[in-house]
Amino acid sequence: MSGPNISDNAQVAAPRRSFNWTAYASQFGAFGVLIIICIIFAVMEPAFITSINIFNVLRQVSIYGLLALGMTFVILTAGIDLSVGSLLALAGVAGAAAFKSGFGVAGAIAAAVIVGLLGGLLQGLAISKLKVPAFIVTLGGLSAFRGMALVFAKGQPISSFPPEYTRFGQGLIGPVPIPVIIFAVFALLAFIVLRYTRYGRYIYAVGGNMEAARLSGLKVDAIITSVYLIIGFFAGLSGFLLSSRLNSAEVIAGMGYELTVIAGVVIGGTSLFGGEGGIFGTLVGVLLIGVLNNGLTLMNVSPYYQQVIIGLIIVLAVYLDQLIKRRQ
Amino acid sequence: MYKRSFLPLALLLVLLLALSACTAVAPTDSGAAAPADDAAASEEGETLTIAFSIPGLNFPFFVHMEQQIKDEAASMGNVEIVTLDGQDNTTKQVADLETVIAKGYDGLVVSPRTADALAPVIQQVIDAGIPVITVDRSVQDVTGLLGHVGADNVIGGEAQGQAILDLFPDGAQIIELLGTPGASPAIDRSAGLHNVIDPAGNIEVVCQQTGEFNRDRGLTVTENCLSSNPEAAAIVAANDDMALGAIEAVQARGLDIPIIGFDALPESLKAIQDGALYGTVEQFPGGQARTALQTITAFITDGATPENEINLLSPILISADNLDQAERIGEVE
Repeated sequence: MSGPNISDNAQVAAPRRSFNWTAYASQFGAFGVLIIICIIFAVMEPAFITSINIFNVLRQVSIYGLLALGMTFVILTAGIDLSVGSLLALAGVAGAAAFKSGFGVAGAIAAAVIVGLLGGLLQGLAISKLKVPAFIVTLGGLSAFRGMALVFAKGQPISSFPPEYTRFGQGLIGPVPIPVIIFAVFALLAFIVLRYTRYGRYIYAVGGNMEAARLSGLKVDAIITSVYLIIGFFAGLSGFLLSSRLNSAEVIAGMGYELTVIAGVVIGGTSLFGGEGGIFGTLVGVLLIGVLNNGLTLMNVSPYYQQVIIGLIIVLAVYLDQLIKRRQ
Repeated sequence: MYKRSFLPLALLLVLLLALSACTAVAPTDSGAAAPADDAAASEEGETLTIAFSIPGLNFPFFVHMEQQIKDEAASMGNVEIVTLDGQDNTTKQVADLETVIAKGYDGLVVSPRTADALAPVIQQVIDAGIPVITVDRSVQDVTGLLGHVGADNVIGGEAQGQAILDLFPDGAQIIELLGTPGASPAIDRSAGLHNVIDPAGNIEVVCQQTGEFNRDRGLTVTENCLSSNPEAAAIVAANDDMALGAIEAVQARGLDIPIIGFDALPESLKAIQDGALYGTVEQFPGGQARTALQTITAFITDGATPENEINLLSPILISADNLDQAERIGEVE
């Protein structure tokens, strides 16, 4: 499925104990691009740096940011998940339906997360046990989960929820939107797991060189299955959050998210070949996409040009990243 | 080794069984029409099989249309509808229409996803002797169409514009949420809006951005537009999904400004009842689908050609004053 990572071995052992934030951050070309773009927007559009707008961006990023956390785990093992957007929609309608049938908000969250986990488990097993390439399995999932959502909700959105349902997506704690808090908590958790736990190191090892990992006694199949469970969990959680934020669970929810999410992870420096990258980069990547969408809209740039600009900046950010890595 | 090879084999077997189950059902499904010639079938009053090809069942708009055409077929009694879901993919819809020829259905009611790309295959269907009528969306440069039933998106956009002029005779700054860039309803609805507000001279569109016809983007873009234009006095959206997203953004900011959508979905009608949405544009999609089916079956059974080749139902603005005129008001809980 993936060849061994032929790049220098130092990267396989990426997580180091001592921690220097500035040195760490400067590894990322994307981080510099993010800072520069923020400065440009702040100068050109005063509304950009208002607190309300900053929280808007963060809230907008939170939903696909959660997916991107899961995607980071998957891509670190040299896998891919194209089905996230569809699984999100399926989980969203499942949660909404559970709520409408009287299971309460807790029941809705549980239903969404369970559907997400089941979807992830199925795909994980197909990839690790049946040895079908992740690209193919999740391409199937992209279609099948969306179809299941359509069947289940009969093509119609499930809408109109009371405040106890919508507050998770729309509410605030102090000035901070609740989805942002949820995203921050899980981002921190994911960061700690990948950087400081044995399981995290196993993920890097599997992605760095799967054969070597297998020979050194790692349960590679279980680790691969687990990362799809993780992204399934995030798909379920964000499916619920999106339906809560929109006050509606739609079967078309999350369409095209897979590309945004994968772009975010890759911009953040995580290698599509596995074994290299991490959560900090992913945060930078999804923020870069969110800030670009927000800033260009604030400046009322024509939507046609926006797509061109975003595409070019994505390539530029990754190019700078490579340039810096090559020099090190 | 044995175990390895057994599992894929078992899966394959299950798949084959499932497929054979499908094909076993299909002939009995259309069995009445399939063996008979077109002419013989229609003269003897046997069941007509009409294909209904739409851009995608992921849009509630087309789900409603499908429901309406099926209801109409059921009330006619001898008409069976075969729905072909284009899955929002032009290539898929082309393939769907190719199967219409292969299966030799009695007629085709089609809403082409794009006006140009579907033209060649629709021409092939017509050339194969199958009567074709387009509904909601039209097709370009095709000869021999039985007709088109639709609503004029430009007139719908103009209805939105008129509502803005009525609301703000002294002028205002507004936000416009565009549909998917390049899609013909997106272009036509925006053109209609600007036909009316631009000559007035005092309506300024301060933020014109795409919400891509979906609620998620509609919400996000409205949030962003309101950040840079907190003084905006109204929002015009090219469909209801974006308008419903805009409602969430406006309420989150504690604002109360008029929002106008397009499509008259039950959810928007409810929002109008609740005062969250000012208005929406009704295009009578169900009426379109029913009219199209009546026209095509009349042609197949009696050879009756429609009076007008193009039959446009005039869209109207629905607001709190005329909610009862909305086609789907009965679906509002």
